[in-house]
Amino acid sequence: MNLARVVRKIAAFFARDFAIARGYRGALVLETLEALFGVATFYYLSRFVSSPELSSALPDGGNYFAFALVGFAFFDYLSVSLTAFDSSIEEARQNRTLEALLVTQTPLPVILAGSAVYPFTALALRTCIYFGWGVLLFDFTPRAANWPGAVAILLASVLAFAGLGIISASYAILFKRGNPAKWLVLGISGLVGGMMYPVSVLPGPLRFLARLIPVTYSLEGMRAALLAGAGWRELWPSIAALLIFAAILIPLSFLIFGWALRRTKITGTLTHI
Amino acid sequence: MISVITLVMPSPAISVEALEKYFPPAHSGWRALLQPIARLSERALAGISFLVQQGEAVAIVGPNGAGKSTLLRILATLILPTRGRAAISDCDVVRQPSGARRQFGYHTGGDEGFYTRLSARENLGFFAAMNNMSRAEARARITLTAERMGIAADLDRQVRTLSTGMTHRVGLARALLHKPAVLLLDEPTRSLDPLAAADFRRLLKDDLVRQHGTTLLFASHTLSEVADIADRVLLLEAGRVAAFDSPRGLCATTGATTLEGAITRLARLPSPVESPL
Repeated sequence: MNLARVVRKIAAFFARDFAIARGYRGALVLETLEALFGVATFYYLSRFVSSPELSSALPDGGNYFAFALVGFAFFDYLSVSLTAFDSSIEEARQNRTLEALLVTQTPLPVILAGSAVYPFTALALRTCIYFGWGVLLFDFTPRAANWPGAVAILLASVLAFAGLGIISASYAILFKRGNPAKWLVLGISGLVGGMMYPVSVLPGPLRFLARLIPVTYSLEGMRAALLAGAGWRELWPSIAALLIFAAILIPLSFLIFGWALRRTKITGTLTHI
Repeated sequence: MISVITLVMPSPAISVEALEKYFPPAHSGWRALLQPIARLSERALAGISFLVQQGEAVAIVGPNGAGKSTLLRILATLILPTRGRAAISDCDVVRQPSGARRQFGYHTGGDEGFYTRLSARENLGFFAAMNNMSRAEARARITLTAERMGIAADLDRQVRTLSTGMTHRVGLARALLHKPAVLLLDEPTRSLDPLAAADFRRLLKDDLVRQHGTTLLFASHTLSEVADIADRVLLLEAGRVAAFDSPRGLCATTGATTLEGAITRLARLPSPVESPL
């Protein structure tokens, strides 16, 4: 498939979703406020739980507020990756646009990728809002941050998470609603991935489990880049681990998705609600 | 002689050969988890074959469950046949689905399938991009198609504010944007009032088929519509072709004076009044 065409189509998806979102301007204001409440909650929680023991348990000896803020903001990338693809299918089924899309000259993988662009862009904006509130009101100062390193971690994370998202979408096209795999991945990642506390405080078996999921490497790398200003050499193990996850999960997800799509075209349930 | 005929005869717009389709039975509860791998035991199409020539308007009629929508959905590459072959302008719908999608436009009778908060123009622009059209090409085609469909004045209104009839026209415009040779319509006037339906039929017959030579394959339950538009009628019954002839030919075969009477006799229904198709 012609790459320029794919890019043009993905741009058309973005324009579509942006135009729809523009119709709900109030939502942006409310989301900005919601982010403020979230950041404030972490800030006051960090003041309550601050102790020398906790500080020594945190990587790089940082403060808990910065640790939790980065964890909270970037865990969202996993949530959005797991929901963006199947939500786009679900929404298209509900508003009956899926059938209209499927008879165009755009294959379903491009439809999926295109539908995920706006949610990820909105998420990047939300992350900026989180950090903005943190910097403005709560003394969050990522002055030493290695921003290119953080972007590299972010891109590697999105690739690794996208594989999980496409597997989740395969479930959605086969079984329509309820996605236990999605909630299992989110639940395990939330428990052992290090969103709210360092992985080092977990018991041995859970620490081992944490090494088997991509979000652990994503959060470790992101904190190292943003809070400790780690260089490329220190970031490389996290980036490499995420790329290995991506190299396994993306081809696997395409295989599963291809099978699921074919089965639903055989059973005739692709557009069923 | 045969080779001369082959050279002279244009290839059919739609060809269907021994097409079969089976679905799995519908399951609920835990058994629904087995649905994707369930045995295909429910027959929808039982090896049907027919050809539609270029520029022809063919109506598919038959009782509910006869296989009309299944046939259209196979041709529209939305579902896969179990056996047999179907092609649109020589593009096999299973082996060359993207080639087939270039050749047809597909529209169903509901007024759904749009982003209702976007204008008709924005919707059409989006679907034009999905059909590989450049922005400039899409702009020109949208203007032209909107004029043909009589929706030019309403292009910048949000779809949610359009009437059902208008939304239908936008749907038809969407199906025609990429200049398909074949138009597949599933009950195109299903939710239209009688006046809007008559208007829509005129548009199909006079503009699309007569003026532009578009091949039309449409499913309908409205026999007056079929008589009005169709050159030939494909009668499906329990997934089989019960008849395939011109309305006049069907009347002659059955001895009926109207298409309604002919279809009723062929489909062995009690009467057109008591049980319309």
